Amino acid sequence: MVETSYIPKDLEEALRLRKETGAKPIAGGTDLMVAHRRGTGVVPKFPWPVMIVSQLAVFKGIRLEDGEVSIGAGCTCHEIEVSELVPWPVRMAASLMGAQSLRNLATIGGNVCNASPKADLPVPLLMLDARLELASVSGIRQISLNDFLVGPKKTALRDDELLMRVIIPAVNPAFTYLWYRKIGTRRANAISKLSLCAAITIDTEGMVTDFRSASGAAGPRIARNRMVEEMLIGIPITDIEERLPAFLDAYDGILAPQAMPEYRRSSTRRMLEHFLRTAVTRPAHGIIE
Amino acid sequence: MVREIQFRLNGKDVSVICDPLKRLLDVLREDLGMVGTKEACGEGECGACSVLRDGAIVTTCMIPMGAVQGCEITTIEGLRETERGKCLIEAFADGGAVQCGFCIPGMVIAAESLLASNPHPTNEQIRHGISGNLCRCTGYDLIVDSIRLASERGNGLW
Repeated sequence: MVETSYIPKDLEEALRLRKETGAKPIAGGTDLMVAHRRGTGVVPKFPWPVMIVSQLAVFKGIRLEDGEVSIGAGCTCHEIEVSELVPWPVRMAASLMGAQSLRNLATIGGNVCNASPKADLPVPLLMLDARLELASVSGIRQISLNDFLVGPKKTALRDDELLMRVIIPAVNPAFTYLWYRKIGTRRANAISKLSLCAAITIDTEGMVTDFRSASGAAGPRIARNRMVEEMLIGIPITDIEERLPAFLDAYDGILAPQAMPEYRRSSTRRMLEHFLRTAVTRPAHGIIE
Repeated sequence: MVREIQFRLNGKDVSVICDPLKRLLDVLREDLGMVGTKEACGEGECGACSVLRDGAIVTTCMIPMGAVQGCEITTIEGLRETERGKCLIEAFADGGAVQCGFCIPGMVIAAESLLASNPHPTNEQIRHGISGNLCRCTGYDLIVDSIRLASERGNGLW
């Protein structure tokens, strides 16, 4: 009888199982256990072999390394939301992912590798230029989250690889203003209907030196486009208003929502307008609501 | 394929031989007779199957047994024997928080989880604390009042 589940005792065994059996990791179980459940008293059945990895300490821990924040793939949303090392938009997104019971289970690794266009954590992570460290029996490589997220439920993860950690580079100088908003139905356990994470940096002369924006649940993949962002970079903050219509049209062009497209497009437009117009007024507080 | 999984349940060592992918919920109810933990939605939405794993609230319908090895699990049957559990259960009874009762084990676990991190929550914080638990009878007000009552009466317990 072929084994359908494994409980590796260390990373070496996990990587070997991944290579030899193709077993996929399961950590929090909040997506996979529900997707493959078969009802009361019946053991969930997976279409591929699985390995339970929640017990492996190698996937745990949030650390500061060379100015970059390293989050182990097995860190839960709760661990992320309470960590002062983690940048605000990522903590905010983690804190809004369902109820406490879900946040105690769901991991960043699952949220990233599941590659749902509606996933919450990849939205601020993409905005922050996060990288991923992937391991296999052949070695370790890093890849940008942007290159990793290929399409809906599709990633660049090879069949012999495991996600080890998510690395968030330092932002220097720090963003002047930040925005994160998730629109869902029931606050506990709502899947995002739409989310937007944005940030702007304004220097002492009032020039915009950086601007970034990422959208979740607004297309087949988390959306971000550097060329569109650059429309607002290098201009005086006071010129935002006149650039706004062209920018909003261009940003609209990177969205491709299938369901309720008018709603998703107009809500995104209104959030960006609100964020940027508020930033122009230069409020004292860096987090715009 | 079955395996032996050892963990602590309500302060006692237990060992279960089962498929590592079997849900903790099913093991608690069917193999260990802990039927206070309820199943309703089976997908982590309703909170009826909540227990504490190493002190943190989790929904057991989403946990494979392989992830329970070495953990400390507290169900309503364990919590009700503690001073905190007794205080909560009396407050739920006195406050009229219980109608059909199906959601209540999960609600009490959620209340314990909340008070353990925040002994004197505001009404808003209580509502947030039980936001992962659905109740179809009470409209929540009496549950919120009862958790506040437990917080007042149990001064020093949490």
